[in-house]
Formats: sequence, structure tokens, C-alpha cells
Amino acid sequence: MKTFDPVTLATPLFILTIILEILLARLGKVRAYYEAKDTAVSLAMGLGSTMAGLLTAGVVGTATLWAYQHRLFDIPMTAVWAWVAIFLAEDLTYYWFHRLSHERRIWWAAHVNHHSSQHYNLSTALRQTWTGGLAGTWLLWIPLALLGFPPAMIAIQQGISLVYQYWIHTETIRRLPAWIEAVFNTPSHHRVHHARNPRYLDKNYAGILIIWDRMFGTFQPELDEEPCRYGIVKNLGTFNILRVAFHEWMGIAQDIARQPRHALGWLFGPPGWSPDGSRQTSAMLKAEWEAQRRQAAEPATPELDAAA
Amino acid sequence: MDKAYFVQLFASGAAVALLVGLAAWARIAKPHGPLDEGKARALLEAEFPGRRLDAVWVASDGNGALAKSGGLALVICRLGDGYAGRQIPWAQALQASFRKGQLCVDLADVSAPKAFLNLPSWPPKDLAA
Repeated sequence: MKTFDPVTLATPLFILTIILEILLARLGKVRAYYEAKDTAVSLAMGLGSTMAGLLTAGVVGTATLWAYQHRLFDIPMTAVWAWVAIFLAEDLTYYWFHRLSHERRIWWAAHVNHHSSQHYNLSTALRQTWTGGLAGTWLLWIPLALLGFPPAMIAIQQGISLVYQYWIHTETIRRLPAWIEAVFNTPSHHRVHHARNPRYLDKNYAGILIIWDRMFGTFQPELDEEPCRYGIVKNLGTFNILRVAFHEWMGIAQDIARQPRHALGWLFGPPGWSPDGSRQTSAMLKAEWEAQRRQAAEPATPELDAAA
Repeated sequence: MDKAYFVQLFASGAAVALLVGLAAWARIAKPHGPLDEGKARALLEAEFPGRRLDAVWVASDGNGALAKSGGLALVICRLGDGYAGRQIPWAQALQASFRKGQLCVDLADVSAPKAFLNLPSWPPKDLAA
């Protein structure tokens, strides 16, 4: 049976807009940087992600169908209110999926790929995970089927969200009108999300609506005085695609092999967690940055011997 | 999997090749020149904020730098038009292999296995102890 798949339908648009962004940047009309190897990795990750997704599609589909068979309500796909409801429910689910993907190492291992480019352009949007199905974050969407949203409806809304999030991966658009910036996730908000500046770490998890970040205290506007530096805290030192795809999983395996009694911490602690505190989590990096900032802002203490 | 899937996969692969070729042709990577000591220090400060830099050695081709910071070696090396930075024990940096003017530093990190720096000599005579 043919189903409506927003991502497949949007694929020609992805290709055309990347061509357009590159050509306009080449002509000096917009701000965009592309590096060939980085672009190759981003696009290959995107292509690989679609193939990897097939490996777990059966499990995800079966689990969703099972949940739908045990649904609490019958929600019609033809009702407008049902589409408004799935839009809000899916976007809220995405927020928490995304937050979890940044705040717990096992899920960060699957999501880190998307952040590992030091660039922020439309090709970065396609740098997608190969191990998302394995990480099991798809379980977060199961309650929607249990509530009674048809699986096709959930899948379509997920596709719409993914397509929406494509166009915001760009530096060509600076700011949109204030009401849009207030309600929706925009290029400006998402640039912050991809930045590795301590101030910007673990902020703006939104999919389509930025209101969730405002509600749950994770919103951070982009500041002109602090340009975004893209990438991850410890940027990759290789373009090897297997390392790009699996490095955090390999890191977890090495850590657990070395200290098996801390396995739960290595898996479910925040990225950067270590039993002895020798590594730095986002919270530690932020605290350090905040302390340095306060120190720099404090007036210099008058020297005692100067008064003597 | 049906034939349409493989057609789609092939078309996607061709599109990837086209876009990568276009990105290479366009030459719109981030502007960067070779590192000098000033730039290297600024980059080290950005990568390792608040760290004291006892000494800095910049690669002769400007593609990276290594700094001593107490008992640590701070390493930055170029990747594409960006940089990756890692810290390792100073003793580990001292043991790095040096052949034909190139220092190969084992960073002991899956995501950045090695850094290569072109230097006139290694280890530095004044700080080797």
C-alpha cells in the first residue's frame, strides 16, 4: 500500500535547496560555508540513515500497531481537531525525545552524529543517525498510538516535523518576524542548539514549536555578541564515516569494559559524566564558564600594599 | 525490497555525488590561514578556556599546535576547514613518535585517534624533563 511520506516527497526539495545555497554562497549573496569532505559525511550519513532505518522498521511498526490495537480512544484521521492534536502531541513528544537525546549518554550516542559537523548549512540537516532505532527512543511515540492516534497519522506528523526541521539548518536566514521567533523553531533558535559555546549548550530542543523550550526552561535566544561556534564539545578529528557513526557507542563500550561496575553511569549519566569527575558534562562546562564570566565582570580588588 | 527502492537508492547516491562535487567546486569553505603563534594561542584559549599555556609549538605548515599546560599537553589539529582539540598527559605527548619532521600524537580517543604535526624537532629540549 502506498502511504503519504512527507520526507520522500521533500527529497527533491532538499537537493534543490542545497544546490541553491551553495550557488548563492559562491556568488557571495548569502552566508553559507561548505567543505567538501564535511558535506560528503553529512550526506552519506543521511543516506545511510534511511537504510539503517529499514533494519528496525519492522520492530517499530509492529510495536506501534500493537499499541494501537490496545488504544484507549478512536481518533479519526479525517477530523481537523485530530490533526491539531497530533501536531501538538507529536511536537511535545519530539521535544522530550530530543532533550533525552542530549542529556543521557546512551541516547546521545545515537544523536551525536547530527551535531558533529563544524558547519551549519542545509547539508547538516541530513546528517542523521544510523543507530536511532537501536537506541529505542522510538518507544516515546508509542503512547500516541495507545491514546488512539492511527500509526499512519503519527508517521505522517513525524515526517512533517522532520521536513520542517530541514530548512532551519541554515545561516542564510538571520531573524524572522518577532511573532514567528516567539512561537516557532527558527534558523536562529536552532543555530543556538547546534552551537558548542557553553552558554548555548543543551538549549532549544524544539521540533516545530519553540514554546516547549520556553515552557520547560531550556530556551536561549541567539545573541549577536556571542556568535555560534558549531560542532560538539570535543570535535571529531576524523572524517572516517564509521567513526562518525559509531564513535560514542565505541566510547561507551570502552568505558564499560574498563569500569563495568559503573556501567549504569556510563550508559545513563549525562554525556561527559565520569565516576571520578575527571570529564566535563554540559552542566560543569556551563558552571565553569559562568564562574569565569563573573570573575571577569567583578571590579579588580584594590591592592592592599598600594594603600600602605 | 522492491525495484523502486533500489532505483531511489541509486538516485540518492548520484545526488550525493553531485552535491559533494558542487561543494568542492564552489570553494566556499570557512576562510582560514595557517596558524601562527597568536592564532594558535587564541584557538587554544577557545578550546581549553582558562588553561595556562606554559609553552606553545605551532606546526611549521600552520595546521596545528601543541601546548604544555602543567602536566597536560593540549593538542589542536586541522580537520577540513575546522579544528579538533584534545588534551592528553604531557608524558604521553613526550612519548609521541617523531619521524621525518612529523610528530604523530596518539590521542587515545575513538573520535580523534591521532594528530599529526610538522615540527622541527621533538621532544623540545628545554621542557622534556
